[in-house]
Formats: sequence, C-alpha cells, structure tokens
Amino acid sequence: MLNTFQQAPHAALPGATADEASRQEFAKSLKGFIQSSLLPGLSPIYQARVAREFEKETGRAPADRRDIRAGMVKNLYFQHYAATNRIAQELLWESVSSSVDRQLPELNATAAELSAASKAQLVIPEGFEPPRYVTALDIHCMPGGYCSEACPGDISVGAVYDRGVYLYSMGYTGPNNDDMGRSVVNYLKRHMPDFKPRRILDMGCTVGHSTLPYKELFPEAEVWGIDVGAPSVRYAHARAAAMGLEVNFAQMNAEKTTFPDEHFDLVVSHILLHETSGKAMPRIFAEAHRVLAPGGLMIHADLPPFDLMDPFTQFILDNETWYNNEPFWGAMRDMDQYALAERAGFDRAQVKFDTAPMAVMEFAAQAEGYSQEASEHVAERDFTAGEFAPGGGWEVLIAHKAGEKALAA
Amino acid sequence: MTEQRPHVFRHARGKRPEFYDTPGLDQAMSMIMVLASELSVLRDRLDSAERAAKAHGLDLAAGIEALVFDQAALEEREERRQELMRRLFYVQLKDAEEAAQAQTGEAFARTIAEIAEQ
Repeated sequence: MLNTFQQAPHAALPGATADEASRQEFAKSLKGFIQSSLLPGLSPIYQARVAREFEKETGRAPADRRDIRAGMVKNLYFQHYAATNRIAQELLWESVSSSVDRQLPELNATAAELSAASKAQLVIPEGFEPPRYVTALDIHCMPGGYCSEACPGDISVGAVYDRGVYLYSMGYTGPNNDDMGRSVVNYLKRHMPDFKPRRILDMGCTVGHSTLPYKELFPEAEVWGIDVGAPSVRYAHARAAAMGLEVNFAQMNAEKTTFPDEHFDLVVSHILLHETSGKAMPRIFAEAHRVLAPGGLMIHADLPPFDLMDPFTQFILDNETWYNNEPFWGAMRDMDQYALAERAGFDRAQVKFDTAPMAVMEFAAQAEGYSQEASEHVAERDFTAGEFAPGGGWEVLIAHKAGEKALAA
Repeated sequence: MTEQRPHVFRHARGKRPEFYDTPGLDQAMSMIMVLASELSVLRDRLDSAERAAKAHGLDLAAGIEALVFDQAALEEREERRQELMRRLFYVQLKDAEEAAQAQTGEAFARTIAEIAEQ
C-alpha cells in the first residue's frame, strides 16, 4: 500500500526546499520499506536459522528476549535490518535538522511573533533543571534532545521534533501530528459521552501536538501542556497560536508540578512514560492523582507491558532500547502499572488497559495524501511488533479517581 | 570568519551502536544509504523538472520517451555508462592491474625502504 501522507503546513512549521523535502520523503519512505519489507523477514530468519543455531550451541531453546537477542545480533540479516533502521533514523533527523538550520533565525522570529499574539500563558521559570533521564542521552537519537537551546529564545529542537516525528510516524499521526491526542479524545467521547472536563493537563507534551485536540474537542476547558524542555514548550505555544487554539504551556516536571491539589478533571500523557525512569514513573502517577479532582481520569497512552506478549515480540520491541537511545523503553514495559496506579492512590478496580483506535481514518481522502485505501490500511493492521502504532491503535492505561465524575456546569 | 547566527544540533548525544563484525562496514553502509538518498533526491528533481516544464506547455517526459537516438548519441551514452562502471569498479580493476604488473605489498614496502636508503 503506497503511503503518500503529507503533513499539513502551519505558520510555525519549518518549510523545505524541493531537495530538502525529497530528502525527508526518502527517510520516511525508507522507514516504510523497513517496516513493510525488511521487518517481516526477521521471523523466518529467527525460526529457520537463529533459534536452531542457538539450540545447537547451548543444547536448549531460546527462553526469553535476551536469548533471542544473543542469537540474532550475530545474524547478517538482522544486522542489516538493525543497521538500516538506525541509519534511517539518522537520515531522518539530518534531513530535518539541515532544513531547520537553513531557516533558523526566521523560525525563531516567527515563533516569537505567534506567541506574543496569543492570550494563552507560556510559563518558563528561571533556573529550571530538566531531569537526567531526558538529558543523559538524546532520546530517539534526535540531535539536541528536548532541552538544548542554540540561542536565547530558541525553538529549533521543537521545530525539528514537529517535522521529524511526523516523518518518524510516516504520517500515521495525521496531517496535524495529533493522532494520539485525537484518538484518546475520540475514545472518551465514545465511552464517556457525559464527561466534560473543566481543566485538562497534558504531561510531557513536547510540542503540544497531542495536546491541541483536547482544546478542539473540549473548547470550554482550560488546557495545559507541560514539558521539561523550554524550547519544546516555547515552540508548542507558538504552534498552538498558529493553529488558532488558546492552550497554555509551561516548562514543568510531571513528577512535581506547581498546580494545586484536585485542579484537573483529566490528566493525560502520550508516549511520555517510556521516556522517564524507574523512579520518576511512580512519582508521575502520584502527581497525576494529587492534581486530579475527585471523579477525574488519568490516561497514559504508551506501550503495552511485556507480560502481554511473546518473547520474540518483546525482542523486536526492545531493539529501540539498544539502537535508538531509548534507555527506559524496555524496563518501562516490565513495570507493573496496575500496582503503580494503586500505590498512587487509585482503586485497582478502577484501573484498566484498553486500546484507543487510531483517528487516522478521519483524515481519509480529506487531507493531502491520505487516500482512503492507505488510511484504512494503517487503521486495520494486525498487531506486528516493530511497526509504528502496531495494530492500528494506542494502548491506554485509564485510572479513575474515586468520586463523582466531572460534568458540565 | 566566525558566523554569528545560531545553528541547530547535528549529533545525538549517546554512543552509536555497531551492527557488523567487519570493521568499516557500519560506516560504509551509512555512506551507501546517504548516496541512495541523494540519488532519490536527484530523481525527484528530474521528475519535478518534467512537471514544471509541462505546466508551461513543454512535455519533457513525453519528449524523453519519444527520443530516437542516432549512432553518435548511442555511442556517447554507452561510453558514459562504461566510464561510470570503470569508476565504480576502480578498486577491483586496480587489483587486477597490480596482479598483472606483479605489484605486491612486499615490493611496495621494499621500495619505500630502498628510497630512504638512496
């Protein structure tokens, strides 16, 4: 199925020359090729060769993802797969970074103008220290990470992220990069039509791409996005203004926010948890519980736990830990999230995992490049480890804080 | 001259893993893929040139398909392809030439030693 998905432009988004755009499209196409054509070969390679060799050498079958990895890293097919995957990631960031670099002073000026015209708040406190789990490595190999500033008032890493994550997701996140947020809101609207949150907090919002659908679909709500990266929230604020939405952003750590107790009816995060740490994740659950009003909901859209999948699937997914600067990717999947929620104060019976189907179908044949066929193909895939958003949905952990659910006044 | 304007970050913090046992292959694979990317960029640009020309009434793509090559053109293109392949297989051809000339690593080292003595 040909993927011709195209990101929708907005006033804060970096542009691209014809050659820059082609370079970016190549990176996106290469990722698609790896996923559709190289990834499926790993299973027969493992079954027919690697597992047998492992058994011959050790006298036993591979027992877990570590055994599988030990065998696979010696196999040339796997080496080509993993190397090409890494190179695709590097080509992707380079294709965006070089393009953003060309237009950086203008992009910074545009973001500042957009922000200045917005009535929404942008809070960047003096002396804020981002946590080590974000600064020790540049997560998913994005040069500069979320926090580096090329100059005062810089938004470059935000701009690189907005364009780069669209390419990373091969456009599955929709023309506005907002599929994750949109999918969770759709889930809420479908399952809890009476739920009308007055205040919404998006933790670890990066450039606010997932945050904006909450404002769009709950227009009366006060919406906040927080992130530890100053340039990320700075860009997020400008980006929201560019899209005509008043959403507040603050540089803040989700482990310890400055919001009062019981302030929000809905606390969400999207692919945040796997970029934190073993100690931070329980604190984030506890903080979400603290700032939630009685009856409020905590929803984290992230990765399903390892105990729900077979060792080969675990092995495929864990490649991100080893090859894509995702230090907590594997360990996070080993965490007992029910227990974490319970310790944070949620009633275990009020915690569940579910799947929020991707909203990508909403764009079918309406947004540029989103053909009906390709959108359907993305939305209706079977779960295949190593694909982006495998199975056409987002895994959500939903916890309901005891008390009356928030209803519209 | 030092440039005053800010620049984006170009390297991701964190040790890059190696995938191959053969030294240099990780680097070579990266270079090959960068070249593949640039080839794709170039092909896109030609496609864009055809489309831009067509928008101005000049159907380059159809003209290209309809071209009939005379003998001179055939020879020019064949020569260019052979040149390309000679450059592409430079190291292998050099190796065969060395074998033919009986040039060896030992002889090369001996020459260096001898010249130092002369």
